[in-house]
Amino acid sequence: MKWYHKIGAELFEPDREQTPGELIFFKLFEAFIVFYTIKFVWEWGIYSQIRNMEVVLPLGIANYFDVSLFFDYNLALINASLITLLIVIAFFRMGPRWLYMVIILLFHLQYVIRFSQGEIPHSQNLIGMSVFCLAIGAIFFPGQKQMPRFVMGSIIFFIGLGYTSAFFAKLIGTGINWYDGRHLWLWISEKSIDILSREGVYNPNLLQQMALGSTAVASIILLIGWLTEFIGFTMWWKKLRPYTVTLLIGMHFGITLTMNIRFDAFVIQLILVGYPWYRVIDTYLKTTPEMIKRWA
Amino acid sequence: MISMEITATKKGIRVIGIILLVYALLVATHEGEFWPFSIYPMFSQAGNPWTRAMVLDVTDQPEELIWEKHSLENRQWPPVPVREYGVDQIDFSNFISKTEHWTEPRKAALNNMFGSYPKDGMKWMTVKVHGQLVGKDSVAVEIVPWLLVTEDGVFENPNLDPSRYIGGGQQ
Repeated sequence: MKWYHKIGAELFEPDREQTPGELIFFKLFEAFIVFYTIKFVWEWGIYSQIRNMEVVLPLGIANYFDVSLFFDYNLALINASLITLLIVIAFFRMGPRWLYMVIILLFHLQYVIRFSQGEIPHSQNLIGMSVFCLAIGAIFFPGQKQMPRFVMGSIIFFIGLGYTSAFFAKLIGTGINWYDGRHLWLWISEKSIDILSREGVYNPNLLQQMALGSTAVASIILLIGWLTEFIGFTMWWKKLRPYTVTLLIGMHFGITLTMNIRFDAFVIQLILVGYPWYRVIDTYLKTTPEMIKRWA
Repeated sequence: MISMEITATKKGIRVIGIILLVYALLVATHEGEFWPFSIYPMFSQAGNPWTRAMVLDVTDQPEELIWEKHSLENRQWPPVPVREYGVDQIDFSNFISKTEHWTEPRKAALNNMFGSYPKDGMKWMTVKVHGQLVGKDSVAVEIVPWLLVTEDGVFENPNLDPSRYIGGGQQ
């Protein structure tokens, strides 16, 4: 077996039998993705309709045509309505196999409409990546036997890859001295201006005070976070996954405390994909409910 | 009931490989971002000076003082909490710091951002805030008054060279 087939076996677990717990968990996970997709497209749509006036920074397909058209005529809201309708149909498996593919394209469009203003946030990437994996799974691995395994396995693959990629982006962007604690001082001061401007007041919390008080403490905080990102790819291995994911969740809490950046959807999704929840469901349920089979 | 057989697993990893290829092509040709694909470059460039923006309430303050540069520690005017006015701080900050040409439509867009505010004679100063490492152990934060927003319009800082509002970018 080649090395990449071994990774495939860790991600897709061909030897594990499908249980009611797996199917039920998958449907709950899909419901979580559907919920956040609908939430995001409406938040972005409403904001774009009210606030966006000019394209400051074109992203994705906005490089190829002027998305400012979508700032008016309620087009961003119409797109949100369309995505909502289609994703509900896709969730209940009432549409064609390629429906999720249409949804991810419209979702991408909605993202570039909203985030044409200069900021490039990443906090919704995992939800977007999950919709993308649902799209690929529905086309190439349809049916209850294969789709849940492929979708969950590929999502885990891309989450792990993303963290490790973030580690290398820092190594290439700055160098080995990236973890110099004074860099954290700069970021804390930068974020403090955002909070002062947003709220009118800012007071550093205990961890921030400790980091600002000592270069060594600040450096250790950065180093721990950076190394945690590096080992992100180890979640590809089934046995390591819960430990890696626990460290990543810890890292996100660390970022929230030092830089005041919250990652609700990110952390919930890590909790969902990082641990074998299907086993918990299997201890309570021995058969798969009919409707779950129908929607699988 | 075996769920995903060995052949399907091989197909799975092949499909991931193809996605990776497309992923790499798209991010390589779009500066690292093609949502939801990304190289996740946040915080990758450490140690660089930064620029953010905020709004200070300079209503009823003497005209000769409001345009002066000052440090964050010596800040005199209270910040306007932009969230209370429905403004996204990150967007606002990027709008101020990344706009290079302050054309009339750009100024109008800034005015539009705050809806019906400022009103009733209020004067709001949008400022650029610059931070950088100084020496071995400190961060210096400077406030530069940038554009004054009132009911009557948007005004540039007379103390700054007008060229900074045309092609000035991140200054």
